[in-house]
Amino acid sequence: MRDQGGSLRLRTGRRRIAGIAALLAVIAVAAAAIATTAGGASARTNGKPTITLATNSWEGSLANNVVAQYVIQKYLGYKVNLVTIDEIPAWTAMAQGKMSAVLEEWGHSPQYSQYIKKGHQVIDAGQEGPNGNIGWYIPTYLLKQHPELKNWKGVKKDWKLFVTPQSSPQGQFLDGAPSYVTNDQALVKNLKINLKVVFAGSEAAQLTQIETSYKQKKPIIFYWYTPQYQNAIYKFSQVALPAWTPKCAKLKPAQINCAYPPYHLYKVMASTLRKTAPPVANFLRRFSWTPNEQNSVAYNLAVKHMSNDQAAAAFAAKHAKQIKSWLSKKTPYTKVLPPAAGT
Amino acid sequence: MSPPSAASSLASAEAPPPFLIDVGRLGRRLAPLAVGIAICIAGVALSGFHKGFPAKWVLGGGVPNWFDRADSWVQTNQSSNFFLHHIIGGLGSFLNSATNDLVSALHWLTWVGVLILAVLVAWLVGRWKTAIFAALMVSSFGILQIPNGGPNGISDMWQPAMTTLSLMAVAIVISTIIGIPLGVASAVWTPVSKTLRPILDVAQILPAFAYLVPIVVLFSIGNPAGIVATVIYAVPPLVRFTEVGIRTVRRDVIEAGEAFGATRRQILRDIQLPLAAQAIMLGLNQVIMMALSIVVIASLVGAGGLGDPVLQALQTQDLGMGAVAGLLIVFMAMWLDRTSAALGKHATRRVGVGKRLTRPQLAILWGGLLVVVLVAQYGLNLGDWPSGWGFSIVDHVTNGMNWVTNQLTHVSESLSSFLTLHVLNPLQAFLNDFPWWLMAALVGAAAWARGGPRRAILLVGCVALMGLMQAPVGYTFQGVTSYDFSAWGDAMQTLSLVIVALVLDLAVGIPLGIAAYRWRAADAVLRPILDFLQTLPAFVYLIPVVALFGVGNLAGVTASFVYALPAAVRATTLGLRAVQREVIEAGQSFGSTRWQLLLKIELPIARPYITLAVNQTILLVMAEVVVAGLVGAGGLGLDVVTGFSRSEVGLGAAAGLTMVLMGIVLDRLSQTRQTQGGQG
Repeated sequence: MRDQGGSLRLRTGRRRIAGIAALLAVIAVAAAAIATTAGGASARTNGKPTITLATNSWEGSLANNVVAQYVIQKYLGYKVNLVTIDEIPAWTAMAQGKMSAVLEEWGHSPQYSQYIKKGHQVIDAGQEGPNGNIGWYIPTYLLKQHPELKNWKGVKKDWKLFVTPQSSPQGQFLDGAPSYVTNDQALVKNLKINLKVVFAGSEAAQLTQIETSYKQKKPIIFYWYTPQYQNAIYKFSQVALPAWTPKCAKLKPAQINCAYPPYHLYKVMASTLRKTAPPVANFLRRFSWTPNEQNSVAYNLAVKHMSNDQAAAAFAAKHAKQIKSWLSKKTPYTKVLPPAAGT
Repeated sequence: MSPPSAASSLASAEAPPPFLIDVGRLGRRLAPLAVGIAICIAGVALSGFHKGFPAKWVLGGGVPNWFDRADSWVQTNQSSNFFLHHIIGGLGSFLNSATNDLVSALHWLTWVGVLILAVLVAWLVGRWKTAIFAALMVSSFGILQIPNGGPNGISDMWQPAMTTLSLMAVAIVISTIIGIPLGVASAVWTPVSKTLRPILDVAQILPAFAYLVPIVVLFSIGNPAGIVATVIYAVPPLVRFTEVGIRTVRRDVIEAGEAFGATRRQILRDIQLPLAAQAIMLGLNQVIMMALSIVVIASLVGAGGLGDPVLQALQTQDLGMGAVAGLLIVFMAMWLDRTSAALGKHATRRVGVGKRLTRPQLAILWGGLLVVVLVAQYGLNLGDWPSGWGFSIVDHVTNGMNWVTNQLTHVSESLSSFLTLHVLNPLQAFLNDFPWWLMAALVGAAAWARGGPRRAILLVGCVALMGLMQAPVGYTFQGVTSYDFSAWGDAMQTLSLVIVALVLDLAVGIPLGIAAYRWRAADAVLRPILDFLQTLPAFVYLIPVVALFGVGNLAGVTASFVYALPAAVRATTLGLRAVQREVIEAGQSFGSTRWQLLLKIELPIARPYITLAVNQTILLVMAEVVVAGLVGAGGLGLDVVTGFSRSEVGLGAAAGLTMVLMGIVLDRLSQTRQTQGGQG
């Protein structure tokens, strides 16, 4: 009996809730109707398509994008969205036409040949300016204590400095985000250095570890690169590896025994962009700057917590001429050098 | 899942007199041993005395290769294939526009409208306290600001919060549309239930990271991918709660219905469903909590909202910003949790909860809200939160966290090196050299002893499959992709992390659970902390964990430990509370002291619950193993993260599957016959 009564009362309760739900639904639909009429227009501003730029996991990539976003929105009148995405998925998205451009590519010769050379869904958007440098680094205080660490032979001798519980009984070599393709395991093996490569799993974890060691002035050796705004905060020195040669580049990944190849950082865009937004395509090809310029914007974003817009405006205020030259069709642009094999 | 009654565990403790030789019992004792020996012999015959798993045993060209081929097929056929283009693509754009419409709708309501709506709903379904709580939580999205260049150098999180709210709403509606019918179907038709159960198991054990890769392949990045990931993660509890709710409607009530000549459909609609409403509402509440716990992961595939600042903070190692953004996710979870819990009670009409307003009264309320919104929107031109109204605690949080980290560094460093050198490394080395057949034999024997031959066959199969997931040596695909994936070795590495995290969780969690049961004060202190830990995204504490313990396995163990601790504490307390009053009083009448009672009566009776605690802790630790991959713990977690971030679909999917197999083995091994039977 009690159950029956309960279910009866429950019916009225349900009806009331249904009432609330219906009302909410009506409000939502009404609002949605208003929104779609308004929103339909916003997807295309004045008939101009929205531009999407891929932001990769390092701060320099964001620095490129905020400045490009500022210039495109302010001077060319297109809406720009920044989408956070990893490097390889960004190529796929560009090929599908879902991503407009990537403004900092490191290597990626397989993707270069697959999408630019063969598929033509992605096209060359010129060089970015800075040259990328990847390699083995140590804090400068460590180099001062142990000058022999200037090259790999010193590391081979002093491996005991780098022993940690995690790598014990070997020394530890700290690698970063797993999305960065590295040769460190092969290098350690082929140069017969008694180090164990430990993957930090994310750049954030790697950097936190470096910071902790740096504060305590402890020995640490790690995979690192320039341009990187952190280089303005910490003093790192590069450890020389056996010089890179094109012959070494042809080796299988597991046999590599030389330094990382030089990287000419470059830009790419979806091939459709030339037709859908020609002024943007022209600008993106001519957009180029120096590592210091990029670092200053990255620093303002990451350390000074400026908003994207503020950081871009601060740059634009000092570089009006440069922006003008990016926008002029007369400015020549540098074509991309095909990335070195094995990168 | 309904826990076993205390009575049944008492009954099973009865044993035959020890001096009689019971042949049947001896047979039952010896069978697992025989099974173990048989597996060992078969294993040695197949692969010899081999350490680990033979590298040459690869399933049909390698499981990773299947996924790489599927991925490449999808990429080439995305625009020409009907299913991919119209069904998947259409679903994607529907989800996208639904979310965007909701975001615009919330924007149209203005901040005043959203706030009043939240308060009004909370007040209607709950008490005044619920309403005030809702008001506080919703305003926190505007008030707690982060340094991101607003007018005073800070800006509010209103917009991201509204985006997250919209994403959650769409995901929850879709989960309901899928979950409740599936739950009803599996309650009504046993075959459906039997088919669904393993699928739900897999969906619950599979780390979200593992299916992010295929989702991105199908839906590309953005809101739809985030919603799909959320639904997969959140729907299983709803299906389970609905099924259990309908199945546990008392037989006599249904018979009464049958006596009145009701058809099966009428019984379902008018008796079973209404009576199951409370269970269904509990399931919905779970959906909301699960969905909110995946907000940051959804941001990894391009869904916006509150997950973005958490990831951004991780990228720039901004402790304070990550913590504040994570806190806002916790606040949203708490708000929706309280309101939906009140709604659940309201729907099932517990006395004294919610309002009973007449129709005209309701009409006035809603009409009033509409007027307020119209005035706010068109009269006052209000929009999102007024940016000046708020402050930032980020710097204080950062300084506080840095201070704590600095104080703890010396202790944590010695602890870290002790645990790594003397526990983790030896355990890892031991498991790494462990032959696969010996592992299969141990698992088979244990499974036979706990669940009989069927479970033994299932689990031995899972162990063998774990090893078979590997990629062939020197694997390459289309000349572009190449990676090593030795599933067995990586699984053993992960197993060592899981074991250490589990032991730590139980060592800390069970005493805390007992303390919360014994002392009211301990419960009062622990409850908010556990609530907080349970909903705080793990991404927030990754950086402090690395700062304290350094990159490596121990950082991963710590992250998993923190994540699973609330479950261990809660299940212990719950188990102890379920001990019946009469049993305790009987003990007291024999003159037992408080501690005697606890050790001799309460804990033994609560044992099935503590087994459940072990089981839940294992599953949560497994779920966190992938996040552990982000702070330098190797093994399957790192494989999944690598597969995801390099778009190596085969690696990510095969490592995810290995993790599922391992999860199934650990889950089934930690369930007794009773607890599994209780799952229905």
